[in-house]
Amino acid sequence: MSILPAGSHHASEGTFRPQLTSLVDVMTILLVFLIKSFSVEGDIVTPAEDLQLPVSTSEKPPRLRCSIVITKTAIMAEGEIVERLSDIADSDSLLVPPLYSYMKAQYVKTRSSSERPEVIIQCDRDVEYAYVKKVMYTCSKAGFSDFSVLVLQKE
Amino acid sequence: MKLSLYRSTKPPSQVAHTEDLDVTPVMNMFIILIPFLVSMAVFTRMSIIEFSLPPNVGASMNRSSEKPKPKLTIRIGEDYLGIVLGEELLDSLTVENGVLPFEKLGRQIVLRKKELAYDGEVVIASKDHIAFKQVVAVMDLCRDAGLDKIGLSSATDSPDALP
Repeated sequence: MSILPAGSHHASEGTFRPQLTSLVDVMTILLVFLIKSFSVEGDIVTPAEDLQLPVSTSEKPPRLRCSIVITKTAIMAEGEIVERLSDIADSDSLLVPPLYSYMKAQYVKTRSSSERPEVIIQCDRDVEYAYVKKVMYTCSKAGFSDFSVLVLQKE
Repeated sequence: MKLSLYRSTKPPSQVAHTEDLDVTPVMNMFIILIPFLVSMAVFTRMSIIEFSLPPNVGASMNRSSEKPKPKLTIRIGEDYLGIVLGEELLDSLTVENGVLPFEKLGRQIVLRKKELAYDGEVVIASKDHIAFKQVVAVMDLCRDAGLDKIGLSSATDSPDALP
């Protein structure tokens, strides 16, 4: 008893060829989608892990500048924790001393180059404004006057 | 030339088989192209919003000898959202059940901008416990209304004490 359909001489000859048409269809759709989302520039700024950025309608592309990250638990710079939010939560002072030292060094470095002294703040969407205010104040005391906030572009 | 010369004598199933396209090179090209494009694809786009220092902190303040113009301030609080010009409270929108009335605020900003013919810097003054995403949402409303110069400040309990 044969399991092959009657009249199927391809299989019996051993020259079975898979039908690739549907696979080519899938590949074509995938290719169109990927070309649509293709970016030559790539991302200049990579957001820190465990950071949920706020969503905005802004379309201004990010620049490569001094970056400060405010996560739900800490203030970070260059991947290192500068200060934990729990340590400054009860402080009445707007100045964050460890951040000030870091930013002062960054300001000196920026002044020696031709770059504009600008800070890009990457802040978690659920962080209270009080912490952002402290970071801004500290950066301004260190000499920075231009600020930007990193956001996810709304679709 | 007779058309009958081109007529095949084979049944249609056999004709289709003999003229089957070889798509293997196309598949090879896809297999090379797709991993390359996946590695270069950007699924979430990032952007920035520029803003200036709180007005009372900037080192550039008080440089001008001119009388300062009253600034339009958007106050964000847990109790109400307000639009303030100088020291005058123009609009007050109550926060109900913790939901900030952004739609109403957006409409009022557009209205006040037209009424006052204001195109200067708008200061967003937020209370300490407001989540940062709410501040960004108000920044968006200001930008949508055509107020691109944004300053951030902190709100006090009394609107009279706003910057």
